[in-house]
Amino acid sequence: MPVSEIIDPASIVLDLPASNKAEVLDFLAELLYGNGVVSSKEIFKADVLLRESEGKTGIGGGVAIPHGKSEAVLRTCITVARLKDPVQWESVDGEPVALVILFAVRRDDKNDYFVKLMSQVARMLARERFCEALLAAESERELLDLFMENEERK
Amino acid sequence: MRIVGITACIAGIAHTYIAKEKLVNAAQEMGHWIKIETQGTIGVEDRLSSEEISEADVVVIATDIGITGRDRFEGKRVVEIPISVVMKSPKALVKKIEESYLKRLSESA
Repeated sequence: MPVSEIIDPASIVLDLPASNKAEVLDFLAELLYGNGVVSSKEIFKADVLLRESEGKTGIGGGVAIPHGKSEAVLRTCITVARLKDPVQWESVDGEPVALVILFAVRRDDKNDYFVKLMSQVARMLARERFCEALLAAESERELLDLFMENEERK
Repeated sequence: MRIVGITACIAGIAHTYIAKEKLVNAAQEMGHWIKIETQGTIGVEDRLSSEEISEADVVVIATDIGITGRDRFEGKRVVEIPISVVMKSPKALVKKIEESYLKRLSESA
C-alpha cells in the first residue's frame, strides 16, 4: 500500500509548540487517541518509549522516525508533526529534531509489512531534498502532497 | 569504481534502508557503480551475487551488528564502518573510499 494512504491527514500537525521529546510524543499520542487510531494513549506511548530506549530514532538532518508496535493501535497509520522549534532527540548526527514522523503499528500486523512500510519511508527520507521540502511545506495539504509525489508506485 | 556492500542495523528496520539509499545516491552522484545488500528484520534483500562481488573494487560494510556471509568477501578490499557514518556523511565516505582506491591504483601502476 502506498505510504500516502497510511498517513492520516487528520494527524498532520504543523508548527507544534513543544520544548522536549516527551511533550511531542504526549501530544501525538493524544491526537491519535482523539482520532480513534489508538485505544489507549498511555499504552501506546509506553510502547513508543520502549522502542526509543532500544536505539536512536533520529535519522539526521532534523528528522526522527519514532515508532510503536502496540496492542493499543487500532489501525496502522503514520502521523507527521513539524515542530515550531527543534527539540533534543537521540539522533545519529547529534542534532535536534524538527520533523517527527511517528509510526503507529498494530501489534498483529506482520513484521514484514511494517518493515516494508518503514523502508519505503526511509528511502524517501534518505533524499535530502525531500526532507528539506517537508521542513519547508506551508500547509498540511502540501506536506501530504509531498509524500504522494515522492512515493514509489507499484 | 565498482562498489558492493551491506547495510544492517540493530533494529533492522529503518537505518538499514536509509543508509543504503544514502550510500547509493552518493556513489551514483559521483559516477560510481554500486549495489548494496540489506540485512534487515525481514531478511536479506538485493543479495550480492558472486560475480558482483568478484568484479567489485571495494566492499563497504556499514553495520552496528554482525552480518552474515562475510566469507564471501575473502581477499577483497573491505571498508567496515558504523552505520551512523553513512547516515551522517555519505558523500564524505564515498570520497574517502575513492581516494584510497585511486592511491592503490597509482601505487600498483
